[in-house]
Amino acid sequence: MPADLIRTGSEEETVAAGVELGRRLRPGTLVLLIGELGAGKTTLAKGIVKGLGAAEPEEVSSPTFTLIHEYGEPVRVYHVDLYRLEEAAEAAALGLEELLEREAVVLVEWGEKFPQLWPARRLEVRLRRLADETRLIEVRDPAADAEIGD
Amino acid sequence: MQILGIETSCDETAAAVVASGEAILSSVVASQLATHGRYGGVVPELASREHLRAIVPVVRAALEEAGTRYADLDAIAVTQGPGLVGSLLVGLTFAKSLSFALARPLVAVNHLEGHIHAVLVEARRSGRPVDFPALALVVSGGHTHMYEVTAGLGYRLLGRTRDDAAGEAFDKVAKLLGFTYPGGPVIDRLAPYGNPRAVRFTLARMKGNPLDFSFSGLKTAVLRWYEQHELDEEVARRRKLVAAVGRPTVAQWLEVTPQRTLDLIASFQWTVVEELLRRAAEAAEQCGARSIIITGGVASNSSLRREAASARLPLPVHFPTPHLATDNAAMIAAAAFAKLSRGETAALSIAAKANLSLA
Repeated sequence: MPADLIRTGSEEETVAAGVELGRRLRPGTLVLLIGELGAGKTTLAKGIVKGLGAAEPEEVSSPTFTLIHEYGEPVRVYHVDLYRLEEAAEAAALGLEELLEREAVVLVEWGEKFPQLWPARRLEVRLRRLADETRLIEVRDPAADAEIGD
Repeated sequence: MQILGIETSCDETAAAVVASGEAILSSVVASQLATHGRYGGVVPELASREHLRAIVPVVRAALEEAGTRYADLDAIAVTQGPGLVGSLLVGLTFAKSLSFALARPLVAVNHLEGHIHAVLVEARRSGRPVDFPALALVVSGGHTHMYEVTAGLGYRLLGRTRDDAAGEAFDKVAKLLGFTYPGGPVIDRLAPYGNPRAVRFTLARMKGNPLDFSFSGLKTAVLRWYEQHELDEEVARRRKLVAAVGRPTVAQWLEVTPQRTLDLIASFQWTVVEELLRRAAEAAEQCGARSIIITGGVASNSSLRREAASARLPLPVHFPTPHLATDNAAMIAAAAFAKLSRGETAALSIAAKANLSLA
């Protein structure tokens, strides 16, 4: 899959972009949400969770403190946040591999801090703040990029 | 009637004995801050391991301090959620084992209900009981929730954060600016040195439920201020100070923090307090509350307490004393007393629930 580029002009549009993305995700997909503080990672996650039919956007909040939020019954989305963690061993101890084996989408904020943790099969979503309300969202499949490169 | 309470939902291993839902005979908290401070937060695997190590001595200490024995307990209360599943499991499994071995009922308590009971139990003791219906604001690192609480202890969710919890906003802003974890106490101690109206942050306007909270925009605004004022150098100085002395004193912080940054901190805190109290007042009016409860770790914030106690809220406001504001097990045992008197006991088959909701 080639990289998708989406430009959103408001929080609502970012949520809507997440909904579209969520609809295309299959259970077992790992998605790294990459972007600085305030880039809109949790906002995009709201849309993805909605697109997967697991919860309404208002119900999705930041998992920074508790590290993992679960949505859906049975769980269809695990929303993980590694912001507070400093070493890969701590992140690995979260049992993310086990989460990936379940029939659920796993969204990870701040996952790029620990590149060694992630399997090749994953999506990378990069968010950039262009202006106060404008965000640039890039969706990439690194494995597919590698195949093209070969 | 003596109830043993056990709480392990996040970073504290806690046990307490409460008599008749009112007298706190003991309340032991094995603070894991020393472990977590190094990591800037709660590390789940470390948390589970620390809970495992602490649970037996903490429960034993709670019984000893209360001058009671296992055989004298009438029920075992435990936090079922919300929280980290691995951490919850340690307390829940221990409580189930005690319940089974002692043949005493098990009572499962929601952590947020526990925070509300921390205030109810103290208010009863002080002879200034909470008038119902009450508006309860539970505000901590992981939660910012408002409930209507009825006399029969029914709960109705009125509003909650859509993104960051208030305590999380304190932590993230503190980390961004090079201060230590947890961020709340540091900002609280430094804010009096700044001008709270120096930086005019926009208050959040909520689409949909106007009683919901949002602190993400404020966090981004602080980041933008940071970028515009080139704070890298002073932040580096503060990180160096932390590396050298661990937990700096106020005087040491002031040496490496210019006035404009103190103004920023004061303005940030002013805005958080304003958001919390403005919505609490609106919610209280909407549900016809006769009193307000503010509880959870952020309830220790001195500016929040001062502002709430001033004339701006038209109702009596109840805060917990500081040791009952942060996570503890006395609040779990107190909440269990009310449940037990309604016959609400739990089966030994109950599971820990990461996203257990109160209403």
